[in-house]
Amino acid sequence: MSSPPVSRAALMSRRGFLKTASGVIGLSVLGLPGRGQGAGAAVSTPLGPVPGVAVQRIEGLAKVTGQKIYARDFRARDMAGWPGRQWHALYLRARTTKEAFLGLDLSHLPSEAEPAKVILGSDLDPKLFDKPVEFNRDLHVDHLLSIKAEEQSNTATGGSFNLPDGLSFDLLVMPGRTPNFLGQAVALLLFDTLAAYRAARRFLAADDGIVQRYGPGEGPDGTPLPDQPFDPRTLYVKDPGFDYAGTDSETYAREAPQVQARIRQALDEATDLIRQPIRAEMRAMDPMFMEPEAGLAWIDPASKEMQLVLGTQSPDGDVRNIASMFGSEASPVPDLAQVTLHSCYPGGGFGGRDSSPFSLMLALAVAFAGGNPVRLAYDRFEQFRVGLKRHATTADGTLYAHDDMRLEAVRLSMVFDGGGRRNLSPYVASLGALCAGGSYRLPVADIHAEARHTENISGGSQRGFGGPQAYFAIETALDDLAAAEGWDQMALRRANLIAEGDTTVTGGPIEQSLNLPEMLDTAEAHPLWAERAEIRAAHEAEGRTYGTGLAMSLQAYGTSGDGMVAAVHLGRDGTLTVQSDAVDMGNGSATTLGVTIGPILGANATRVDMGGYTLFAETGLSDDSASPDRWDDPMWTQKGTGSSSACLTALHQVNTVQQTAQALLRGSLLVAAAQLWGVGPLSAEDVIWEAGALRPVGAGSAPLTLAALAKAVHEMGLPTGALGHAYFQNSWVEADFDTPGGALRLQLDGLAYYHGAKTAPQPIPRRNGSYPTPETARYSRYVWAPCVNVVGLTLDRASGHVQVENVLSVLNAGHIHVPQMVSGQSQGGVAMAIGYTLLEDMPPGMEGPADGRWNLDRYHVARAGDVPPGDRYAPGARAQELITVPQPPGSPRVGRGIAEAVMCSIPPAISNALRDATGIRFASLPITPDKILGGLAK
Amino acid sequence: MTIRFTVNGMGYELPQSRGHETLLDFLHDELNLTGTKLCCGIGVCRACTVQVVKPPSPAATPVISCSTALSTLDGTRVSTIESVARDGRPDPVQQAFLDQFAFQCGYCAPGFVMAARMFLSDLQARPVPPQELEAAMMEAIGSHICRCTGYVRYFEALRSLAEAVNAGEAIEL
Repeated sequence: MSSPPVSRAALMSRRGFLKTASGVIGLSVLGLPGRGQGAGAAVSTPLGPVPGVAVQRIEGLAKVTGQKIYARDFRARDMAGWPGRQWHALYLRARTTKEAFLGLDLSHLPSEAEPAKVILGSDLDPKLFDKPVEFNRDLHVDHLLSIKAEEQSNTATGGSFNLPDGLSFDLLVMPGRTPNFLGQAVALLLFDTLAAYRAARRFLAADDGIVQRYGPGEGPDGTPLPDQPFDPRTLYVKDPGFDYAGTDSETYAREAPQVQARIRQALDEATDLIRQPIRAEMRAMDPMFMEPEAGLAWIDPASKEMQLVLGTQSPDGDVRNIASMFGSEASPVPDLAQVTLHSCYPGGGFGGRDSSPFSLMLALAVAFAGGNPVRLAYDRFEQFRVGLKRHATTADGTLYAHDDMRLEAVRLSMVFDGGGRRNLSPYVASLGALCAGGSYRLPVADIHAEARHTENISGGSQRGFGGPQAYFAIETALDDLAAAEGWDQMALRRANLIAEGDTTVTGGPIEQSLNLPEMLDTAEAHPLWAERAEIRAAHEAEGRTYGTGLAMSLQAYGTSGDGMVAAVHLGRDGTLTVQSDAVDMGNGSATTLGVTIGPILGANATRVDMGGYTLFAETGLSDDSASPDRWDDPMWTQKGTGSSSACLTALHQVNTVQQTAQALLRGSLLVAAAQLWGVGPLSAEDVIWEAGALRPVGAGSAPLTLAALAKAVHEMGLPTGALGHAYFQNSWVEADFDTPGGALRLQLDGLAYYHGAKTAPQPIPRRNGSYPTPETARYSRYVWAPCVNVVGLTLDRASGHVQVENVLSVLNAGHIHVPQMVSGQSQGGVAMAIGYTLLEDMPPGMEGPADGRWNLDRYHVARAGDVPPGDRYAPGARAQELITVPQPPGSPRVGRGIAEAVMCSIPPAISNALRDATGIRFASLPITPDKILGGLAK
Repeated sequence: MTIRFTVNGMGYELPQSRGHETLLDFLHDELNLTGTKLCCGIGVCRACTVQVVKPPSPAATPVISCSTALSTLDGTRVSTIESVARDGRPDPVQQAFLDQFAFQCGYCAPGFVMAARMFLSDLQARPVPPQELEAAMMEAIGSHICRCTGYVRYFEALRSLAEAVNAGEAIEL
């Protein structure tokens, strides 16, 4: 197989560089040859002979045979061109936010555990970079620290290296200052031998406070102050005369408070409305991806290139942040020329590796490693201690309804515990506010959501992105309303289903078919619901308490504007390679993208390279927000690429790959076919793929194998690959592109063609573009993956133990690319939701993982025995059945985001089932046996 | 005194002074065998499961390598995930996991493979009544943690093999 062009060409483009205060730093994301998931990687195994059908995961064999594909697997000795030696980094973590961090006392460390270097926040002070403090293990460290602390009091604090773009608080706490949050790094220890590193880890495992000194000092630096919100806060107010989507930002900011007051007054005066309190609280949750974060870094002293080995969901942002950090005036490596990220398959993600601070901590460590490769590898205790969490949240409000079951309004305040770092917390809160409208038509809304800075572990982009908390609040309140009014839960929901033509709580329109009534029909007719009384009676006859719960979710996928890029290459031998900026964190993106080209190009990809965000640089497009021409410039786009989210695969990434494959088919393969057949121009409708060969529709010329076509394409000088960029904001940008196959109209805003493996692609300016209207940017979200969940469970009243007996999930997943992966994602969502609802208990503060002593012996995730093992409902057995909504004939072959959709409505369904079983509302997650026994005792 | 054991057929002899080191660290840092995974490091999740035979018993037992000191391995034969596939060809367990899309991120897969192989070997030697097969599977892999898949597909994949083996069908492990 010929190799596709590797993204190093990107280094010559605008996007491949980042201008910084100290100059220009090149950026690149590559795979580890034969190992990672980026360009140049080759872990692919055959997807299968049937176009569009996957017989296994494309990277499955590498994973199941234990090959090196995760960042944690690599050492410096594995990296070509790196020195064989390796240093080890260990961060010490703040244990209090009540006193100032004064420094370290390493005199307790055994001699065999002494670090080669100790770096404090003060070492990152710009004024000190000319003479960095290095602590040799043979020196009396404590004495030097005392001197340093004294110097510190006389120097300005802060520095952009310690405070990269987007961070509110220092990477390393300045000695003399109070830490901003528990787990904030207070010191970096660097070890030049593995033995010393391990000895230090062993010594510090029980109590790393033994080497930290705290006492009176200055308060925390930076903003916001504790218990203040991170910006921005979200307020959605909506009534018949005003809403977010229909109002420009300035007017909205000015008038929304008045509208809010108007709404509140109207609701207060509407005494005929039924009022249902909404009250829910949820603990923080750890994503508990299986591979604790780990990485490797080295700065080549000759080339000044920093190489990183990471498994991240946000390669784009990580590399840019690191380049920005080292490009600051205060950089300890002021002449850094290049940052190259070797992108590995992450051992799980669930959002926890999206914009994780880990990459910055690794980069910070290598800056002080004296030219040595350095490895930073969290253990599980540390991962619990500092890894991004799903936010602890409180929801408090009121649901207003008419006595004919029609919902009128929702008033809700949601407070997310953002913890230490801002991260993506305000945006999680914002999506939570949107989700608070549930699956329902709500004429009036007054929803406020904010993420507050606290001393707790930072929250971030977890699976569901605010949805789990919001749906738990609204769906439990709905059941309480039904119970209070004597209404049927199903009927109440059915009376209020949102549909095409309605608007969400932002005022944004629903323009996508949701199929909610049909989904409720399916759930209502299913024996788990229809025969719930009989099932209950059977359990009670055997002494078990049984309940049935129902809940819905309408999870949005994508963001308010998404840019994606993909390339499809045709090798001279007829093999196909797909490249994408997406990251496969286990959700199967690589496999899906590999088979989605099959029906278009006659074969599945033999290779899929993921995480290639520098592909965008090769498109020739600019996403400069300052462009005066914007869409009038045929080489401008609203957004290059964003962080990688699993929910973006099924529609956004798939459609981008499909359109790019269409560009290759119609702009190259059909041109070659027409010449070989000696006929006039061909359209896609003139041909059909059959048994790996292209033939004309109807009788005519002899079929052409893909290999024969590929050979012709290469020999005729036709495009051997296509590079497409797409932008989706309520609708796809569409445009005409002049290709060797004539003018093609595609759902792309950028297209370029490759001619051979060695050359840069040639961009084609778009014509006759149709673009999203500006007001759509304020809809918040456009596309939805609805799910109805029914849960049947038993309760042991003596122990408080709950067993989920059966789960029914009715899901609108759109077109299903790989059915096995859809069911696997759904089952994973069910397991995670059961853990979140019943098992995973994480107290805040030093009572929780911030003390560094939490692991899976204290934090219990769902195991096989906790989940229904079957996949098809049968009376008397335990199963989780997934029913997907069939798609009408002729529907586009694009799907919808799924796992979080299934997961989001399981927690309220469990709580509703418990209410059905006991008559008691358990609205505080997790619903532990202690809480249940307490509730029963009342 | 020394500690002698084999890993995937290769012999190793270490001083007793290294007896406190864990098998997992030895595999990773000394042998560069990183297919065995670290997840919790305290023996709960079982991602680091390897196979150990301690003569005179010929039976392989699952061992949690993150919590196993080298000092306990004297005289044993250790097998890791790297020893399972032959010439790149997956064994029946690996193939079943692939066919069923049993894993997603895959980080837990080596541990499941090792535990499932030992379970099937035991089953070949000592079949169980069919009605006890589900419980036996739960006993074998039910303690392994997988965060992505919800376990159903792992059990489906193993179930087809276990039923065949339990019925007397020979599979090469």
